[in-house]
Amino acid sequence: MAAIELRDLGVRYGRRTALAEVSLAVPEREVCAVLGRNGAGKTSLVRCLLGQQRPSAGEVRLLGEDPWRARARLMDRVGVVPEVPDAPPGLSARELSTLLRRVHRRWDDAAVRARLERFDVPLGQPFGRLSRGQKTLVQLALALGHEPELLVLDDPTLGLDALARRAVLEELVGELADRGVTVLLTTHDLAGVERIANRVAVLRDGRLLLAEELEPLKERYRGRAASPLDVVPLTLEEIFLSLHETAAEVPA
Amino acid sequence: MPLLRIDPADPRPIWRQIEEGVQNLVAARRLAPGDPVPSVRDLARELQVNPGTVAKAYQRLVDGGILAVRRGEGTYVADALPKPTDGQRTQRLDEGAARYAGVAATLGATRGEAVERLRQAWTTLERGS
Repeated sequence: MAAIELRDLGVRYGRRTALAEVSLAVPEREVCAVLGRNGAGKTSLVRCLLGQQRPSAGEVRLLGEDPWRARARLMDRVGVVPEVPDAPPGLSARELSTLLRRVHRRWDDAAVRARLERFDVPLGQPFGRLSRGQKTLVQLALALGHEPELLVLDDPTLGLDALARRAVLEELVGELADRGVTVLLTTHDLAGVERIANRVAVLRDGRLLLAEELEPLKERYRGRAASPLDVVPLTLEEIFLSLHETAAEVPA
Repeated sequence: MPLLRIDPADPRPIWRQIEEGVQNLVAARRLAPGDPVPSVRDLARELQVNPGTVAKAYQRLVDGGILAVRRGEGTYVADALPKPTDGQRTQRLDEGAARYAGVAATLGATRGEAVERLRQAWTTLERGS
């Protein structure tokens, strides 16, 4: 069963179309990167996945359930790192962990603390006074506290320095190795995600340009070279850029 | 494995870069028979790649007899390394020779000069310096 399944998903805000006819399936234990320029529809897609936005059309299945109807139950199985840190600014990481322990059926307080110590984040400092990178690391540690089956991260490395970015990516890799979670993340950090994602979805103007496994996609681009001197996109970033050129064409 | 590097701009898939990287380290004796290699988890963290990718490379290296898994202990370079088949051996020799001939020709070396340099390199290698 796919951990995430979108069928002909559409979202409209009044007259504006944010998403149209988006179909995407992410099998369990895979890492799917959702790419797109600002305003391409990434955030609407994430909001639908998390049951924060009701689709105007189509269907969403998260771990087999409709997130709009079963949001509370699903959030016990899903970890979320939001784009804008949203934890209460007055509470420290230690207090936030204690609070969430009461919300979730399962909570590994020791693991949360161990992660925060590894991240070098002060446990007692109010969330609102932490740096941007520290806030993201706290949210990541908290998102993993209930050992979710699925992790949804909305641009987790945005605005992070090199060290915090590395810490986020390493922690993700560790989680993948230890527990085999499924991960969906939106990102602008194409170089960072390139080695970790095995599936990519690219949105442009609310529509899906492609959604498929990364390695076969790269293989097709490589195969397109007609002469040894042809410049073909080899990295995810180069593929992304070429998709946004006029008359973009994905090799068949 | 600090000598292992991967590059997303390399046309080879990442799992193949890891597989060939380990093969090269073993061939160059940077990794000797019996040496431990990092766990899938540790190497994945170090290289910041999907652990599934490292696992795939390791599995192929184990299948090929380069690495061996000792239960509960970890993964090691195999004690008895497999000899490449005649076909593989010829292919690798030809590839290496073609690369060197290309470099020499680009630099304007004559055939005699290129062969002489190779002879000298061989002598240096045998002296072990």
